[in-house]
Formats: sequence, structure tokens, C-alpha cells
Amino acid sequence: MAWTKWSYMDHWVTETPQGPQPPSFNRASMDRYVKQLSALGFTGFDTFFFYLPVYAGMYGGVPGFERYLQDSGFDKITGIFSAYPSATRYTAPHVRETHDRIVADCTNTLRMCEGLTGVENFIVMPTSTYHQTEPVTDDTIKVVADLWNRVGKLTLEHGMKTTCHFEFWGAIRTREQIDTFLSYTDPELVHFFCDTAQHTIAGVDPIQLFRDYRDRCTGFHFKDTKNVDEHEAYRTPPDPELMAPQVTRWFYEMGEGGLVDFPALMKEIVRSGYDGWLTVEHDKAELGGGSYAEATAVAKWYIDNVLAEAEAEVRAELEAAR
Amino acid sequence: MSAIRWAYAINQWKPQFDDFVRREEHERALKTISIAGFEGVELTYGTGRWEPLGNPQQLAANFGSVAGFREFLRSCALDGVSSWYWDPAERSMEHLTGPLSPLAEADVPAIVDRARELATALAELGGSVLLVRPVPGAGDVEPLDDDAIGRVAACWDAVGRATAEHGVRLALHVDFLSALRRDHAPRLIDRTDPALVGLALDTGELTVGGIDPLAVIATHGDRIAHVQFKDALAVDDAQEYLQPHAHWTVRVRGGAREVPRWFAEPGANGGLVDFPAITRALLDAGYAGWIVVESDQSPHPAASALLAGYLVQQELGPMVHEQRKAAV
Repeated sequence: MAWTKWSYMDHWVTETPQGPQPPSFNRASMDRYVKQLSALGFTGFDTFFFYLPVYAGMYGGVPGFERYLQDSGFDKITGIFSAYPSATRYTAPHVRETHDRIVADCTNTLRMCEGLTGVENFIVMPTSTYHQTEPVTDDTIKVVADLWNRVGKLTLEHGMKTTCHFEFWGAIRTREQIDTFLSYTDPELVHFFCDTAQHTIAGVDPIQLFRDYRDRCTGFHFKDTKNVDEHEAYRTPPDPELMAPQVTRWFYEMGEGGLVDFPALMKEIVRSGYDGWLTVEHDKAELGGGSYAEATAVAKWYIDNVLAEAEAEVRAELEAAR
Repeated sequence: MSAIRWAYAINQWKPQFDDFVRREEHERALKTISIAGFEGVELTYGTGRWEPLGNPQQLAANFGSVAGFREFLRSCALDGVSSWYWDPAERSMEHLTGPLSPLAEADVPAIVDRARELATALAELGGSVLLVRPVPGAGDVEPLDDDAIGRVAACWDAVGRATAEHGVRLALHVDFLSALRRDHAPRLIDRTDPALVGLALDTGELTVGGIDPLAVIATHGDRIAHVQFKDALAVDDAQEYLQPHAHWTVRVRGGAREVPRWFAEPGANGGLVDFPAITRALLDAGYAGWIVVESDQSPHPAASALLAGYLVQQELGPMVHEQRKAAV
């Protein structure tokens, strides 16, 4: 049976009378957005912490928004993404003095999720930018790990797993740093979220990483890239993701000839017995005149026509071996 | 038992003559159509180097052969081409001919030959319907008298005979600018051979032309050979279609009111067409064949295809399924 738990990370930009805006521009725009995702067969919805108040305002609370999604064919809200990409004097994961504030902020986000069907992942960027954090020492990583151990305990009390999404431009980006970080965190409290493009750009093999941390992996962002960062773009201040001089667009949808071997990853996922959600993400699909609708359609086409075949191949092997 | 199949028209991806010419653009559009839940694609006739999907010669030039294009469609997970829309008034660079008119008896042999070529390719592509613009726009010809209607009927009977040899049905597509809107499509339909010539029901065109598609199904349900679902956002109630060159002045530029867009995907906000009612009427009339969804003039073709897919998956498709189940 083909994988049914595909979710979509809430990144769209859509045309409005005021130019390009997020679909939350108004309810008609949301209707068009959600119907398109539903037509493609997505049944899970991941969103950002900063959209929760917006949706709550539009639909009478975040649970009201989830009911609206369910009326349109979705199962539920599956993940909430929270982040402090730019370190400030109030929020900087590598600065212990800011941890109380971050924990309080996470508490607020969790409060907004009360009454939902069952969000599974509380997805976090474990650090702020590399250039604001360096030097990245063992001690730095230990401080960061302490924060997410605290948050992990908190989110578990709300039924969500804290899971770390590493950026190519974050302070924990190399394989060695990721290993150190995961060794400093409690496997029961802090999990691993595999963003295929971010790891590939950082020169880390996402498939090997998943293989090694399968027991702690609670989710994926399936997105592609055409570049490995070979010019230390990750150190670009203030933001390497959109401002690096060497690469103007890092991320692409699946099936466009990028570097990530998605069929191999899919096979690894099926072999591993992982049975959670798989999430499609597009960052900045509009760069170069692209459309989120078409990018999402092409990615889901790839899932249903290429990844489904990879999945079926492994399921047949597993069946034959039984 | 209903045998309705759903396809999508690719013409919305091509806003003008030098757009949408690259292979990867076609691939993305076709994959979008497939994943939105459609099994076929409708082509629109075009001519010249920037119309890779426009005619059999261009398909061969771009894909090696017509069969090569079918392979390309299959690689995008589409079964084939449902239908081809052709206006004989379009010149052909491949044949070095100018506009052909079904009103001119001298043009009929060439029209028949051209239709035969398209039907041959269509059959190879898995298609079953050739749609034609049966007469020019109302503003571009004199009102059609009985003699004119007779000549046009004879032309399309001859074309229908030629396409039937390839298993392809001929369907007359009456758009909102058509001279038949003034002179009544039924006058033409009634003078053609039902075995050779059918009617294409285009919900958007009829509605913009002030004609209720449900009434057409009621009176000519047995002649419907093809259906196109698109929504209408305005009605040409000032009869601006009677102006010369209305294709540009009215259809594209929106006429005196400057209507930004006459058409949209089915179910769009402000749409005037009741698609569940029309689907029900088609099922009741025993329609079997393609329903091709369109969104002419869409500024966002992929979004329009997905929104249409949602309506078909959630509402219209289940109606067809229910009827199929009830018939078993």
C-alpha cells in the first residue's frame, strides 16, 4: 500500500490584489490554497508558530482552523515549526541566560495548540545563525542541548515531540556537530528531523544521517537542492539562505534534477519501519518566476509516480523475505 | 452505465504565441494535469515552430513522431490525448495555406484533408473527438441564410465522414462569438447527419453567450459528443459579439466594460455555471465520453488545474461514480 501520510509545510505565496502574499491574506485565498493541497492528496498540514495567531483570528481559534482543514479533506495539523534564526539579546539558544525566555515563548505556542487533534512534531531550529554563534565549541553545543532537553520535556507534556531541524547556515551543521549535539540531548526528549536539502547543502548525507539516527527521527522535509555550499556561504551575515552572493536559490522541488537521491531515501525509510509523516516543503519556489502551485504539483507527481515505485520495490522485497 | 472520462485542456498554459514552447514547461504542465486527477489532455491546434503541441507535423518535429509524443504523455502519467480543438480559419505554415472557410465550397476538400490528418494523429494518441469551430465569428461574416447553413452542414458532414474512418467523432464547438449564436446552432445541427456530426457543449462559452447549457442538454442531449467544463464570470448581454474582430476587442480586451476575464476554472468565486446541475443533467441524458475541464484566460494555470481537480475529486467525480454504482 502506498504511503498515505504526506503533509505539506505551509510556505506558499499567492497572488492577491495587493501582489504576492501568503494565502492567509483572506479566507477566499485560503480556500484556494487548501483546496489545491487537498486535490494533490496531502492529508497533513505543518505550519509556523507565527501563523497560529493569524489562523486563530481567521477561524475562531487554531482548533477552528484545523476543523476547516478537516472539512477540506485533511486529517489534522501534524507539525508546528518554531525558530529563533537570528540571535537577539532575548532569544539565543547558545546563550543560557535567554533560555527561560525561549521556554516561555514555546509555552505560548503550545498553549495555542490546545484542543488540536494531535500535533506530532514541535519542530525547532536548534540554533541561530552560525556567524552569530561562532566559535562553535563543545560547550556551545552543550548549552544548546540543555535548552532543547528542557523544551523537549515541556512539549512531551503536551503530546508533541521536540525535533531538531538543522540548517546549513546554523551553528550545528556538520556531521560531527550533529553527532555531538544528539549525544548531549536525551533521546527521549529531543528528536531528529531530516531536511534533505539543508543537510545536502552542508555536505552531510541525509540518507546516512537517517540510517544512523532512525530511532530518533520523527519527520522529514522532502526538498531538493542543486548546490553544496563550497564557499562558506553559511557564514554570510546577516542571512545565508537568501543573501549569499554565490547562490541565489538554494531550494528546489523534487524531480527537478537536484542532488538528493529521494528514491534511495524512500527505500531506506520503508526498510527502517518508520511510519510517521513525510512532509513536502518548498522554500522560495517563486524565485525565477516559479509558481508554488506548479512546484507542489510536480513534487506530488514525483511522489505518486517515482517514490511510490521505490516504496513498492522495497515492500515486495520485505514481503519476499518474510 | 456512465462512461465519463475527465481530461484537462492545456491551452491555458500558453498566453501567447511565443510562450510555453520548451519541453520542460510541457512536462511540468502535463504532470500537474495528471496529479490533479485527469487522465487525458486536450490539445489546441496551432502552427509553426512555437507550437510544438499544435499539429501532427510539429509533434513529429519535436517528439520524433506522433507515437513519440504519446510516449512523452505516458512518461508524465497521462493516458493520452482526449481531443483536439481546431479552427479552420487558422492558417497553416506547415501546409502553406491561409484561412479556410466552411462557407466556401472550394475550401471543403482542404478542410476535409486537414481534419483527416488531425483525426489520424488523434487516433494514434488515444483521442476520440475532433472539435471544430463550425463557422466564423458573428462580426466577421454576413448573417447565415439557409443557403449558407446548408453549405456549412455539407462541409461538416463530409468532415465527420472522414474523421469517423479513424474512429474519431466530430463535435461542433459553438463559442460566444460564433455566428451561430445569432443564427441559432440548432438550425445547423438539425441539418447535419447525427451519425457524423455531434455538438460540443462548452458551459462557459454558452453562459457568456446568454445560452443556458441545461437547456441545450434538454433539447440536444442526444447530439452531445463532447463536453467542456469552464466557468463564466460575465455575460455578453450587450451583444458585443456582433462587432468585427471581436476575438480581440471583446474576448481578449473585454469589450466596452473591459471585462478582465470572461472565463475561470469551474467553481471559481463569482462563477455563473452550476456544475453539479449540469453533471446531473448529462448523466440523466446518458452522456458518455470526455469532460474536458478548462480555465481559459487563467493567470495561474497550475492553480486553476488543481482547483478544478478538487471540484472533480470531491463533488463531480463522486456523482459519476454513484450513477455507475447504481447502474451495476
